[in-house]
Amino acid sequence: MSLLEIKGLTIHYETRESVISAVNGLDLSIDESKTLGLVGETGAGKTTTALGVMRLVPDPPGKILGGEILFEGKDLLKATDNEIRKIRGNDISMIFQDPMTALNPIIRIGDQIAEVIQLHGNCSKTEAMVRSLKMLETVGIQPERSIEYPHQFSGGMKQRVVIAMALACSPKLLIADEPTTALDVTIQAQVLELMNELKQQNKTSMLLITHDLGIVAETCDEVAIMYAGEIVEYGSLAQIFRNALHPYTIGLFGSIPSLDKDVDRLNPIQGLMPDPADLPEGCKFHERCNFIDEKCETGELETVEVEPGHFVRCLRVAKGEI
Amino acid sequence: MTKYIIKRILWMIPVLLCVVTIVFTITYFTPGDPVLIILGAGNYTPEAYAKKAAELGLDRSYIGQLTTYIWNLVTKLDLGRSFLTNIPVSNELMVRIPVSFRLSLMGIAVMVSVGLPLGMISALKQYSILDTTLTSISLIIAAMPAFVMAILNLLIFGVILRVLPTTGLDSWRNYILPVVSAAGSGIGVYLRMTRTTMLEVIRQDYIRTARAKGQIERVVIQRHALRNCLIPLVTVIGAFVATVFSGSIIVETIFNITGMGTYLMGGLLGRDYPIINGTVFVICTLVCTVNLCVDIAYAFIDPRVKAQFTSPRKRAKIVKELIEVKGEAS
Repeated sequence: MSLLEIKGLTIHYETRESVISAVNGLDLSIDESKTLGLVGETGAGKTTTALGVMRLVPDPPGKILGGEILFEGKDLLKATDNEIRKIRGNDISMIFQDPMTALNPIIRIGDQIAEVIQLHGNCSKTEAMVRSLKMLETVGIQPERSIEYPHQFSGGMKQRVVIAMALACSPKLLIADEPTTALDVTIQAQVLELMNELKQQNKTSMLLITHDLGIVAETCDEVAIMYAGEIVEYGSLAQIFRNALHPYTIGLFGSIPSLDKDVDRLNPIQGLMPDPADLPEGCKFHERCNFIDEKCETGELETVEVEPGHFVRCLRVAKGEI
Repeated sequence: MTKYIIKRILWMIPVLLCVVTIVFTITYFTPGDPVLIILGAGNYTPEAYAKKAAELGLDRSYIGQLTTYIWNLVTKLDLGRSFLTNIPVSNELMVRIPVSFRLSLMGIAVMVSVGLPLGMISALKQYSILDTTLTSISLIIAAMPAFVMAILNLLIFGVILRVLPTTGLDSWRNYILPVVSAAGSGIGVYLRMTRTTMLEVIRQDYIRTARAKGQIERVVIQRHALRNCLIPLVTVIGAFVATVFSGSIIVETIFNITGMGTYLMGGLLGRDYPIINGTVFVICTLVCTVNLCVDIAYAFIDPRVKAQFTSPRKRAKIVKELIEVKGEAS
């Protein structure tokens, strides 16, 4: 049984002027101690999906309109506030994109880590503090620095603190929302390595949100490609990297510059992502697709399993035309 | 920390000297002749005029007068004597400072204790009917100058409803109208400021982090949002002190209270320079002092500032304790 299963999740942001369809009928599942990479452009709805799982979509304007999020068989969308609070930080925890703003500037970092331990660990304040010091050691920060405030740390160190906080209660699922985007490249590698190590020690499953296919190749077991609030292609790492079928996935790989070919210009996917307040009918990618057919503009799409475990949401792939 | 406070107190000296010089210069060059006002226009001899001017020290040059004034102030803390009554300004002020200071501090207290909680509620219940009502009322109040507020209060509660006394400061009931009038627009402005600050803080990422930890909403607001929100709000109190002080000058005049405000008003009308200079000097000193207190309070609210002033020895002690705790547990 999979640890987390998302079925038909739909999240909209409703403002007075427009309705932004951030996530549209999204299906996903993560198995125990596996890592799923969720890849997509900015604005594809990756972060909203993650916040949806945590039930942290800001309301207003965000509304979870439908679907199911089954965590160990239990629907998180039907859980009461109290139940979801016990899951947050304990069973499911999240690493946010920007470590610079994710920490409270006026609370000592040791206390910030101890807070989550005290909430879920059934322990005294002292015990929570001791465990928070151990956590700091685990992520490679001297425990003496626990009395310092976030502004006394560098970006990479802050992200370590955030990771320590997220892993303090040994969660079953870790959601990492672009954990390395705000860091420079050398620190990125360190942070990723640290996350991988801790994840393997605790047998934690991970939902890794990123737009960096390099990171996906290094860390993930499965990959889901997201476009305009939908999963367009889903499969194992090998299936996606060796046998990408959806035109969008092919475009993503095509836009990575190759070392052995000498080209003057990069090869991006033409056009822009459609306005989430005004999504096109039919396939949402058809305006940018090189393989467009007239049915793509109107036709009903279905996700088809092209080989065991490899799903694609494309009309032409489904008919075997590509 | 002590070093910081001493430094800040020393900094007050040049500020006050500048203020004295500026106010002295302004009164000196303001049209109107105190000698003429004392003698009465038309029925004096040039000799009498010259005698009076010499007596008041007004026959000397601008620089001469200014240096004498500052010299007396610095060496003897002497603010001079009133031109009209010949009573030393400092004697008169000694009686009046407590009255005005009490009035202004109460004004500030009312402003913070009303504006802050209402602003918080407004922010936490954003777009509710309560929020809309509070923000619109606060806008009207904020737009009202102290004198309009004072006259309206006087009219409604003192004259029409006759529930509160309108002059003097004999009982606690006398304080209500002047204090509310002095705090007046401050309440509105402070409420709106609190609301904006709180709204900004609760949208910060670290609030989301606190929720993601599974923290109870009440604690998220109290522990994570409130303190972050208070830091800028304490700082602006310093700026409001000056506003409330100047507001209380007008309020004192309207409610006929013998504070510094009425004294200054009399001095202004009679071109009584020592009164004007002395009162402004004292008000400025008070504003500076309150600001200093606010800044010190700021250091206690914002641990980042406090940490900056923690001595290395104290720091080492905290670290040592931490390690001991760890040793005991393992």
